[in-house]
Amino acid sequence: MEKKENKRKFTSGKLLNLAPVIGMILMAAVFLAIAYMKDVNIPYSFKNILNQSIITMVVATGAVFIYTLGAFDISLGASMCVSALVGAMAYNRTGSLLIMLGVCVGCAVLVSLISSVLASVFNLPVFVTTIAMLSLLNAFALVLIKANGTGDVVQVPANAVRGINTVWFKLIVLILFLAFCIFAFSFMKLGRQEKFVGGNPICAALSGLNASKLSIIGFMMAGLGVGLGAFLTITYAPTLSRNTAGSVGMDVIISIVFGGMPVSGGARSRIYSAAVGSLSMTLLSQIMLMLNFDSGISQMVKAVIFLLVVYVSMLNSRKTILPR
Amino acid sequence: MDTIVEIRQMSKSFGPTVALDHVDLTAYGGEILGLIGENGSGKSTATSIYAGMQNCDEGEMLFRGEKWNPSSMNDALKKGVGMIVQENGTVPGISAAENIFLGETKEFMSGLFVNRKKMIKDAQDALNRIGADHINAAAMTGSLDFQDRKLIEIARVMTGSPSVLVVDETTTALSQKGRDIIYRIMQEMKEEGKCVIFISHDLDEIMNKCDRLTVLRDGKIIRTFSHDEFEEGAIKAAMIGRELKGSYYRDDYDGTVSKETVLEADNLNLSNQLKDFSFSLHKGEILGIGGLSHCGMHTLGKVLFAAEKAESGTFTVNGHTVRNEAEAMKYNIGYVAKDRDVESLCLEASIKDNIAIAGLDKFAVNNFLILPKREKQYVNEQVESLSIKCHDADQYVSTLSGGNKQKVAFGKWIGRDSEILILDCPTRGVDIGVKQAMYQLMYRMKQEGKSIILISEELAELIGMSDRLIIMKDGHLAKEFARSPQLSEADAIEYMI
Repeated sequence: MEKKENKRKFTSGKLLNLAPVIGMILMAAVFLAIAYMKDVNIPYSFKNILNQSIITMVVATGAVFIYTLGAFDISLGASMCVSALVGAMAYNRTGSLLIMLGVCVGCAVLVSLISSVLASVFNLPVFVTTIAMLSLLNAFALVLIKANGTGDVVQVPANAVRGINTVWFKLIVLILFLAFCIFAFSFMKLGRQEKFVGGNPICAALSGLNASKLSIIGFMMAGLGVGLGAFLTITYAPTLSRNTAGSVGMDVIISIVFGGMPVSGGARSRIYSAAVGSLSMTLLSQIMLMLNFDSGISQMVKAVIFLLVVYVSMLNSRKTILPR
Repeated sequence: MDTIVEIRQMSKSFGPTVALDHVDLTAYGGEILGLIGENGSGKSTATSIYAGMQNCDEGEMLFRGEKWNPSSMNDALKKGVGMIVQENGTVPGISAAENIFLGETKEFMSGLFVNRKKMIKDAQDALNRIGADHINAAAMTGSLDFQDRKLIEIARVMTGSPSVLVVDETTTALSQKGRDIIYRIMQEMKEEGKCVIFISHDLDEIMNKCDRLTVLRDGKIIRTFSHDEFEEGAIKAAMIGRELKGSYYRDDYDGTVSKETVLEADNLNLSNQLKDFSFSLHKGEILGIGGLSHCGMHTLGKVLFAAEKAESGTFTVNGHTVRNEAEAMKYNIGYVAKDRDVESLCLEASIKDNIAIAGLDKFAVNNFLILPKREKQYVNEQVESLSIKCHDADQYVSTLSGGNKQKVAFGKWIGRDSEILILDCPTRGVDIGVKQAMYQLMYRMKQEGKSIILISEELAELIGMSDRLIIMKDGHLAKEFARSPQLSEADAIEYMI
């Protein structure tokens, strides 16, 4: 009888780990129910949700490689803005979407590389170098827009990207990138080593892991996500300004935490957190929109749910770290 | 004698693991009650619940006849129950004084500000009172070694003048000086009519110091021995449920080893920890290194794994210079650090993650692809060969008992088939059954031609297991002993002090 009870507790602990996924499914069910009752065009709404969340999903999935290390990048949005601007300018010069994609990814990876290498060379917390990068990138974005000479924006002809501005294209990009990240995180040494460095850097060093090297690789993975995000941003909104991707940094944090990943990174990091969190957040926004919530109240509800998610994930962690 | 501690029908589970199963325990004023049992038997769980660290699932607790339900360890200490925990219980980023008065800052408030001068003075008094006057109360705790951090904890607990003191597996982490401090405190409390609950795996120590001894096994009370019933064989049998067969240490006195040198250190210097330290390690040799806690032996372990760099001098492994930890692993060196929870394990990770992390290159296909089946097989081999008590390899290491954690730390390096193992206090906090198994494993590894550097503060262990014993003093090599049946602890101590 007692064993059954213990087994039940153990299972409930594991279920608690799956809470973000269960939450997302529940939210999708609620969304469907409300949409059905309000006679909303469900396929159209779903398309909308995907359109809104895919870019965040891509960037956040890459950013998991940074957060797992217990690190933090405040310059993700600025990096995406600059990468998109440079990518757009490359298109305007060459007329090639492929070159635009390559330039977007190359630029974002380069920015990440600079942040992480500087942190490694000067032995600084990588967060510090990303703060410096944020200012630098914001200034660089202004310089690029000015140099382009078309007022406050850089534009790519809408016709040029119309063909790839589809949910299916974005979905394929997301699935390919997600599959690549899942493979790197779960089936290569990289993910294991990153989780260990995030969980206990001292023990990781004494297990032969090079935290600087892992940090550089992690940042490059994040750069890859930012670059793809920049490319998708151009296809979605071909007119770019200094405010492009302004909220991405915060959206990424919220998505990752909402997806059940600890902000401190470590062993409990999960690669799917970003996708789950991002989709959940967008579903939540849509549900509140359909219920005609005031935007202020919507923000408050989101904040309360965010705190609740953090509390629940900590509750599970507290239970499992009690000493014997 | 007054009854001070009463625990009635206490039960506690961690997931599917039953840590305590309807435990009844009583401790009286004016006595030292010993608690002994294998790793994971429930000793720390029962006492930590009583000391306010966690809650029980079922049961009742009384303190001096009154219902006892502390909300935290601080609350318990204020009301008269203090506990010195097995692992590091201090915060590294603050001063020793702040650790001693952790949660008590308001006592030192002067208007809006904390009177640090007074806090440091009172903390220094507390340290002096327990005989740890060599510690500067203003020093940052993180800059102190494990023993001094432990002494800070003791000072912290003693500032609360507890009526009940729980000493959980603390002495094995301390040098003789540190142990003497604890023994004196325990004796004083006993004489004042207070109560001490003393947990240790050192049977000699516990039989020497305790008035009664309660044995736990698998979360149940097996038997309580009165002082006149103390008998080593009976206690061991009660602990493990069977008689220990075979030798505890190795029973040969043949200290001859291969002439092949696998590791050579030449004139290593590192501040005041290592001074012109030279030695060589041979294939198939167990080289014991002993001394007082601050003699430099723990630093030596780190230097030989390239985790710390010597200021001058060299060391080579099979002729290769080792520049960092990854290279040390490449040349097949493994290192079990003394500070298990900080240096050897990632507590929030699973057993699987901890064991696998050092062996990724061993089971990953082409040193690249990790196949879950191969990983599981690699980890399970260690879990089974070391008899790690767990639900499965996915269990978090933080939920294991001290001894089982140590087994995981061991498994990490044994799994990757290290040719040279540096073991810094490998049997700290490990019960006699596991200790014996670890000694047998070390001996088997020696016979397989593997070399072991055994750093320890337990002379009996060093003498019992080493082919050669080096005694260090103030960073120097003070004396080298060959394996011999005549070698005694007294011989070694002479060169330590």
